[in-house]
Amino acid sequence: MNVDRLEEEIRDVLTEEVACHAFLLDGLEGRVATELTGRLPRRGPLDSLRRLLAPTRGARLGQLAVVGATAVVFLTVGVFLAGRPPFARETRLPGSLPLAAVAEAQAGNRVLFVMPAPNASSVAVLGTFNNWVPTPLAKNKDGIWTANLTLAPGRYEYAFVIDGRWLGQDPLADEYVRSFGEYNSVRYVGREGDGA
Amino acid sequence: MRTLGAVALVFLSLLAFSGPRLLAQATPIQVTQRIEALSLPHEAEIVSAFQMGLSQGRLSADDTLSLVERLGATGGSRFDQDAILLTIAHALENNLPVTTLQTKAAEGLARGVPLPVIAQDLALRERLLAEVRDLLCSKNIFRAKDGSPAVSPALPGPRFDLLVTHIADSLGDYLDGGGSPRDGYAMLAEVTKRLNLLKGSVIPASDVELVLSRIEATDLTRTVLEALNQKQN
Repeated sequence: MNVDRLEEEIRDVLTEEVACHAFLLDGLEGRVATELTGRLPRRGPLDSLRRLLAPTRGARLGQLAVVGATAVVFLTVGVFLAGRPPFARETRLPGSLPLAAVAEAQAGNRVLFVMPAPNASSVAVLGTFNNWVPTPLAKNKDGIWTANLTLAPGRYEYAFVIDGRWLGQDPLADEYVRSFGEYNSVRYVGREGDGA
Repeated sequence: MRTLGAVALVFLSLLAFSGPRLLAQATPIQVTQRIEALSLPHEAEIVSAFQMGLSQGRLSADDTLSLVERLGATGGSRFDQDAILLTIAHALENNLPVTTLQTKAAEGLARGVPLPVIAQDLALRERLLAEVRDLLCSKNIFRAKDGSPAVSPALPGPRFDLLVTHIADSLGDYLDGGGSPRDGYAMLAEVTKRLNLLKGSVIPASDVELVLSRIEATDLTRTVLEALNQKQN
């Protein structure tokens, strides 16, 4: 029953009461309720579902329960597929170097150059700190290439060379500049406020 | 005998991994000999300026020798090789800081950029260095004479050179990135950002504040247009 029509329905029932029973106050409330219930349309299974999702306080709880159950199902499937629970996973950089290790390797004026390239046979970094003469990176078992250099405070432009191909955009860079039509990465070493 | 062999092997490995610098430190004479071997049109001028730069400590013998050797190894035209070294020589003669010119040339050679393109880029950057120095002087920020006490606003040479280097370099990078030389506000933003990132750690905070309080967007537009116009002439 439409809520907007409720008042009209109640008025109808009361009018009938007056006509049929000479408006006896005793039991009036029960009789009106019974009459109104009789006028309600029968509910099918879809109506029950609609009612469950309706924006009433009770229905919102139902809605939350459905959302919660769905989340639990997805989490369970996710954990199963990933092989271990997400909260047990370390915070890692793309290419899987732990962030803690990265932070340690960049303490003071130390600069960590990282390049995930499992299939590469050689990776080097070159820039203003080595007069653009390649410094080779070392590969770990996960295929991550790293070099940890100590540099004097300053601004350094650099790029990686992976199997002879230049790559100027390092995700760990502070900024990028264009040089000879290509990109160079830039790191600022010993900046104020970096704790260096 | 076996032990001796192992020690020799370890020593040789260390030498190999340390690179050529540990094997021998470059000398100014070697730099001169390498330049002479290129048979450049302005050989005398270049040699003279480089010897002065080396003796003043404004050039490192190792880096200079490496640059000249790499330039010779390109097999490019000796006129283009000459143009690159002559630009650096002019900067030395004009008492400009040359670090960025050297590293720019080294980068271009490492990237395999054609020599005329490197020469063109260096020429613009040398003009920018000169124009920025003139700009600072016009704003009453001077380079103190070597040995004389630094009295504000005369800054000791290395501090003044740092300002010139980084302002000119950020303008050069801005132009290389396709920025408009007429957009003074964008250039001022680039310069301000660069100097603030280096403030305290590389450039004294007082020097950064001094410069930023005195230069304006229109100054930079004028400076860059001057450099570009002189490059075209």
